[in-house]
Amino acid sequence: MGRSIATRLIALLTLCAAAIIGVGMLVDYRLSREQILGRLQHESEETIRTIIGDMENWLRGIEGATNLVARILQQRDYSQPGLQQMLRDMLSSDVDIYGATIALAPGQADSPLGFAPYYFRRNGELVYADLAAPEHNYQQQSWYREAVDAGHALWVEPYYDAGGAQVLMTTYAVPVYRQAASGERFLYAVITADVALQELRAYLQRLHLGDSSFGILLSREGVILSSRHRENLMHHFSATTAGQADPEGWQRMFETAIGGAVATQRLPCESAPGECVFRLGTLQPTGWPVGVVYSEHEILAPLRDFQYKTVAIGLLTLLSMAVAVVLVSRRLTRPLAALAGASDSIARGQLDVALPAVRGDDEVARLIQSFAAMTTDLKTYIADLESATARRSRLEGELSAARDIQMAMLPGQGEASERDETFSLWARVRPARSVGGDLYNYQRRGNRLFIAVGDVSDKGAPAALFMARAMGLIQQLAATASDPAAALGALNDALEQGNDNCMFITLFLGVVDLQSRELRFASAGHTAPSLLRGGAAHAIAQQQGPALGLVAGLQYPGNSLALRNGDRLAIFTDGIDEAFNDRNEMYGMERFNGELAACADEPVAAAGPLLLEAIDRFAADRPQSDDITLMLLDLKAAASATSHALIELDREFLLSPGITGAVHRWLEQALARLAPAPRQDLLLVVEEVVSNIARYAGLPPQAAVGLKLTADPRQVAVEVRDAGTAFDPLREARRASLGESIEDASVGGLGVHLITSLTDRQSYHREDGCNILRIVKFL
Amino acid sequence: MELHTDVTLDADHALARVALVGALNTETAPGFEHSLQQVVAAGHKLIVLDMKDLDYISSAGLRVIFKAAKQARSSGQRMAAANRKPHIDKVFEILKALPDMAVFANDRELDDYLDTMQQRARGD
Repeated sequence: MGRSIATRLIALLTLCAAAIIGVGMLVDYRLSREQILGRLQHESEETIRTIIGDMENWLRGIEGATNLVARILQQRDYSQPGLQQMLRDMLSSDVDIYGATIALAPGQADSPLGFAPYYFRRNGELVYADLAAPEHNYQQQSWYREAVDAGHALWVEPYYDAGGAQVLMTTYAVPVYRQAASGERFLYAVITADVALQELRAYLQRLHLGDSSFGILLSREGVILSSRHRENLMHHFSATTAGQADPEGWQRMFETAIGGAVATQRLPCESAPGECVFRLGTLQPTGWPVGVVYSEHEILAPLRDFQYKTVAIGLLTLLSMAVAVVLVSRRLTRPLAALAGASDSIARGQLDVALPAVRGDDEVARLIQSFAAMTTDLKTYIADLESATARRSRLEGELSAARDIQMAMLPGQGEASERDETFSLWARVRPARSVGGDLYNYQRRGNRLFIAVGDVSDKGAPAALFMARAMGLIQQLAATASDPAAALGALNDALEQGNDNCMFITLFLGVVDLQSRELRFASAGHTAPSLLRGGAAHAIAQQQGPALGLVAGLQYPGNSLALRNGDRLAIFTDGIDEAFNDRNEMYGMERFNGELAACADEPVAAAGPLLLEAIDRFAADRPQSDDITLMLLDLKAAASATSHALIELDREFLLSPGITGAVHRWLEQALARLAPAPRQDLLLVVEEVVSNIARYAGLPPQAAVGLKLTADPRQVAVEVRDAGTAFDPLREARRASLGESIEDASVGGLGVHLITSLTDRQSYHREDGCNILRIVKFL
Repeated sequence: MELHTDVTLDADHALARVALVGALNTETAPGFEHSLQQVVAAGHKLIVLDMKDLDYISSAGLRVIFKAAKQARSSGQRMAAANRKPHIDKVFEILKALPDMAVFANDRELDDYLDTMQQRARGD
């Protein structure tokens, strides 16, 4: 899912819910904690109070029974048996009393030893003992002396009853005073009630505040009467381990309790974690410190349970909340996730991907509907685009084919380079669009070089079609005419025919006599060519007529210019001088002539591209607006042309059965310095050409066949001339299809294959009623 | 430029070996055509053109061989070429002439072939 909406929604909602629930539960917990703490405090104090109350009631019950007997004896006399009976009644009525005695003061008893009957319980029976026996000497006993010395009822310090019950005892002693007749108050007796301390311990054991809690009871002297630790019983608290650990603390607590107040102290627990609380107060009737030790940890156990429950409930709630949020978020965002997946598919071009189903009328549903509409629109748009693209690419294909066809009309298919010993020529046409209206043409006829450069009005397809028509006419008319001015007139008339669209063409037509170096030319509204001579270029003077194709029956003026060796003539269309750059500046003749002079030393094939590059640099980003055509013509010095030729032979052979042999021998001798392989090839090819002429030219016997051989270190050229029927062997000769089996192959038609395979360049033209076949082999 | 032909036959006249010496060109082709026609007409089962000493061949010469091969084929004979020099080979290559004609680079290949043929003939 990553950082999806669903994830963020879940995270945010869960966090918010956690915060709200957390704060709520914290407040609730705080309040409840106070409440629970208060209740626990109250409960523990209530427990302590109840148990202490019970102990006090129990002790008061014993005090009450003893005081009652004392008040009776204060006022009435009983015989000694009567006193004994009273003791038995007292023990019978109060089962808590372990033993009791009525010890008469000296002088009140009949016997000089005194009178002190003692009844106590043993195995459920009342047992009698006489404390007046000399070995007891009861008047010296602590309970007797303390009661007499105090002059009021008191609880004596606990003691171990060695003679009687053999248990830890304490005694409530009440001195009984009587009033003599003289009004004098005198001691009559001391009445005691013994109780076993284990009864009190039973009460204390009910003081249960957790597993680690226990009650503690001390005497007024600080002797431990009850404690969890049996070994400490009847020892002073300062002698116990706990007392020794913190003597000052214990002393302070003890004194506070004796003083009647409640003392509280914290001390380390022995059997429970954390601290224990030690509370010490006073047991009222006896003045004994009584206390309890309990573990706060155990007391607070219910609170902890509450805490655990709170946390558990909180977590459970949070978990349920998170699950609910996840489910809801998933449900809400599922269509969005599906939509995101669908949009990815659409982006990859799968427009038919299924969109999530629309449910309800919420934002998501509307989004899905918009998405579906968008997909449909996109499909339509893409279909439209595809058909438009198909139409366009078809058009482009047609235009490209048209361009190829148009270029095929031009010599060299739009870029031509021709070299001879007397001249070199380079020409290129570059249409502004796929097809254009510019044209050039050149043909060499013997010593005459025919050149033409033209520019049809307008650009693109219409111009291209008109150019095609013009090109055909130029080849037909101009190529045969020796007078350029007359040729222009004839062209004009031909082009004017049916030219309802009033298309027109400007044309430069020239014929160079390569021997006399004279240029005769005529111009139909065409820019004057530039002449580079002696390092400077300038436009040549010309008389011109109107553009071709508009008005019939015009006469065009003829011009003539004497060219010299080393001259360079640049014939071009206005796409060059009227090229514009981004600042709307025109390239102009001055720049062009400057560039022409700058690359004067380059051969034409290198200078031409340089000139076009200069124009491109000038125009920079501005696209070419018009078709551009440039033709460069160099006239070479005749001396330099011949200096390169190693061999230049011209010879005529007469048609006879032995002509091939004669040619063979002549050529073999002429090419003696050549390597065997090219020599063999040339011999074979020339033999094929000559035997073809002999067989098919329809010439009478003894007619002449001219052979011109030119060889330099790079190439060998052979020109074969005959006056026979016009026949271009390169195009018209029957060619056998090669590689057939013997049954299917035809005999003959092999020679042309050999000619084209074994040489590098072949050209044919007809001049002055002669077939001229020129073949060149590179070395 | 002349052409000499020398025809040798084996014992049972099944094989004719035509050795070509010189140049087979437009001039010599008609004469060679005449000689070769006679050899084909003699009905030898296999005609081997030995070009060991053939210096030159033109399309006219090829035409003659072509024509004879066609003729031989139609009458159930076979024609083969042996010992073609490189530039003769080149002309054959350019014209893809006689692709189904047996070609032997040298005498040894030819002899091996002939041995096989004879063994097969005896086996019959």
